Amino acid sequence: MNITMSDVILLGHATFGILAILSALWVFVEVLNAREENASRIRTGVAVVPISLCAACALGGYWYLHFYPAEKAIILQGPWTFAHNLFMETKEHLFFITLILALYLPIAAAEKLYANASARTMVLCVTLMIVITGMAIEGAGAIIDHGPKVALLQAHVKGAPVKGNRPE
Amino acid sequence: MIDSRLGRSSSAFALAAAITILFNTALACAKDANQPLSRYMASVTGHNWTTQGLVDLILFFGLGLVFMKAGRAGNIDPWRLISLVVAAVVVGSVGLVAWYAVF
Repeated sequence: MNITMSDVILLGHATFGILAILSALWVFVEVLNAREENASRIRTGVAVVPISLCAACALGGYWYLHFYPAEKAIILQGPWTFAHNLFMETKEHLFFITLILALYLPIAAAEKLYANASARTMVLCVTLMIVITGMAIEGAGAIIDHGPKVALLQAHVKGAPVKGNRPE
Repeated sequence: MIDSRLGRSSSAFALAAAITILFNTALACAKDANQPLSRYMASVTGHNWTTQGLVDLILFFGLGLVFMKAGRAGNIDPWRLISLVVAAVVVGSVGLVAWYAVF
């Protein structure tokens, strides 16, 4: 079994991203039924979202800067160039929108949600948008991850090597 | 007691979030269309993406603190602020997809 540091970082990035989405969904459901009794559970969920997303950002950012150039070179030689040109370009910038929402969430949720309809609606909207943009980012990640595979498979069928710039 | 106003910090940072999200999309398009800008941003931290992330964070927290000190964001109708944040996310996200799909 050969698991590289690139694999560990990339899977960690996706895992923390999913954790942030699930936590945002958890907060959304708790806030739908906001009462004084579940205020501490809401606070816990609200804390997990930005922590997970910052971890996903750190791991994803490191992988993007250090390991992605090799994959990008392979993607751009294959038939799925849109995996980089559309999906990666959109994902890397859409991520900042989700991150800003996640950083705002603890501030919005600091109010007494069970007694404040506006604050409750704001938290519901913010968590829902974290879930939607987060799912879009995860989906884009899957397509980007598939780009090199399609390129390598096509090259294998044609018998021509695909050249990345990953060091041997 | 039922309260229907957002707190001072929540209002201030909601406004800051909406502005930062729209700025993020505008900057992504601008650096994609303007290579000298992209190269300048890359020269600051080593990569234009890192610089953009740092600028976004500085803008969000900076504007949030400024708006909180000024205290005016608290006077904005909370439903208007909620609509503003949602609209910023929709425009910012769709704008990014449209830009990279077309250009």
